[in-house]
Amino acid sequence: MAQYFSYEFIAIFMFVTMLVMMFTGQRVFGAIGFVSAAAALLLWGDGGIEMPYTAAWKLFKWYPMLTLPLFIYMGFMISESGIANDLYKMFHVYFGGVRGGLAIGTIGMMVAISAMNGLSVAGMAIGATIALPEMLRRNYDKRMITGVVQAGSSLGILIPPSVVLVLYGMIARQPVSKLWLAGVFPGLLMATLFILYIYIRCRLQPELGPVLPEKERNIPFREKIILLKAGIIPFLIFFFMTGLFLMGIASLVECSAVGALCATLAAYFKKKLNYKVTEATVRKTLGVSCMFMWIILAALCFGAVFDGIGAVKAIEHLFIERWHLTPWGVLIMMQLSYILMGMFLDDTAMLVIVAPLYVPLIISLGFDPIWYGVLYTITCQIAYMTPPFGYNLFLMRAMAPKEITLRDIYSSIIPFVLVMCLGLAIVMIFPEIATWLPEKLLSK
Amino acid sequence: MPKLITQYVKIIDLICTKVGRITMYGVYLMMFILVLSFVTRNIINFPLMWIIEMAQFTMTAYYFLGGAYSMQMGDHVRMDLFYGNLSERGKAKMDIFTSAFLLFYLVTLLIGSVSSLIYTIETKQKLFTAWAPYVWPIKVLMLTGILLMLLQTLSILFKDMAKLKGRKIN
Repeated sequence: MAQYFSYEFIAIFMFVTMLVMMFTGQRVFGAIGFVSAAAALLLWGDGGIEMPYTAAWKLFKWYPMLTLPLFIYMGFMISESGIANDLYKMFHVYFGGVRGGLAIGTIGMMVAISAMNGLSVAGMAIGATIALPEMLRRNYDKRMITGVVQAGSSLGILIPPSVVLVLYGMIARQPVSKLWLAGVFPGLLMATLFILYIYIRCRLQPELGPVLPEKERNIPFREKIILLKAGIIPFLIFFFMTGLFLMGIASLVECSAVGALCATLAAYFKKKLNYKVTEATVRKTLGVSCMFMWIILAALCFGAVFDGIGAVKAIEHLFIERWHLTPWGVLIMMQLSYILMGMFLDDTAMLVIVAPLYVPLIISLGFDPIWYGVLYTITCQIAYMTPPFGYNLFLMRAMAPKEITLRDIYSSIIPFVLVMCLGLAIVMIFPEIATWLPEKLLSK
Repeated sequence: MPKLITQYVKIIDLICTKVGRITMYGVYLMMFILVLSFVTRNIINFPLMWIIEMAQFTMTAYYFLGGAYSMQMGDHVRMDLFYGNLSERGKAKMDIFTSAFLLFYLVTLLIGSVSSLIYTIETKQKLFTAWAPYVWPIKVLMLTGILLMLLQTLSILFKDMAKLKGRKIN
């Protein structure tokens, strides 16, 4: 095949075939795996047949991937055992007096959960099972709070620890410690923007988020202080996991294991660690880990084929020589292409396939790859909640209370996606928001 | 459905479930190895040289051997913009059609894994690390995992075919 068609044509053909395959509803890893295996065979004959399996050995050497099952385990342990329920109660009481306060408190809780978790799964589970029913009962607008939970839980991949940034670090060959630190302020900025949005919206339309009744808020000062105890567990877990890693005491994979152990111990001391919780946690961890690992495995093969036909050079040629884009033009094109592709392609697969093409170009144009990692992650957050293909949408559909319809879920995200685009623009214009902290702490 | 096929589905589903439910506890093995690494490196200052390879072996075995069970539970995401609107029968039809693609991928993986295993055994291949463990045990586990996924895919295919005929194998 290679001698008859140009490589550009083959690359585009592969991409289109993959997108068509996605529409058939075959499992994502199966669709990507088929296209890459078939392309390898057509391009290189018998020599290409081992490419899918070779990808497994590349993945074997990606030692930091061990953080994936451990962070997933941690997230499920926290949500299944209910050790985060107190956290909700704390924010509930402290913010209940403000208009839209419970929604603001939910964002606060999501920040705390994100600091214990590398994905958005735990935040979604806790948000949909605890925060949503509570807020519905108090007549909060269902569209707004559905958006709050989805947007808030997506902070999980930006605020350290973050599995997405681990994967990016491996592909772009950048230190994970720097990437994690770079995610801190953009994550907090994003949370602040969400809170501002909720606050202003509820000022203008008070019926969206009514103030809690007096008697629910008026609890003795002593009890209010005791409620603060709910913050201890997240703080300890954050310290033992991310803290020890950033101080250079634990290695990256070790810190994820220590974190998983801490979550298990926390469940034990709260007397929530029984067979039912353990079984559900372990089973769901296997399911989600396998899903991610098989997608990465198939996408690695796809990437290897792309690499074999010189797609990096082709993209550079297209952007710079054919379209005469400026560096910023290239950057914006890349973000747009992510959002566009993110609609049809799973985000993990997109990272594995596209980042190796983009990152060398980003570096050669003089941009900071650490900052770019943060931009990518924010784009990924947006992709997580935009239809038709978003993990948070999937999870929301599976977990939301009955009165929340599919329409509500889809329309709930619109304002939050706009807020996130604003956040993305701010981090693009002021790169220091991301790069200041790692430079301050790690360049000594 | 012929009895042979119902028997096949029952046995394969059972094997994949058993293997998967044992494998899922592998997450504790990973946790143990890495916490041990943290303790030996930092607290008693006695680094162990087999940690990294052992953790990598466990991880690889974890997702290869767990693959079939996770497929059985339906944990793998699909793009359901179009697929999600199909009826149960429509989904079954579509799955029968697209399972050919999945099978193609799994068969190439299987061919690659067999030839790689043969090479490993013939050359007595070891990893290039200080510990230098033999590679064949993990390759056997990977081969087993791929084979189980292949068998599970066929089992799901048979179940979909039965669904079209209005029957259920269970």
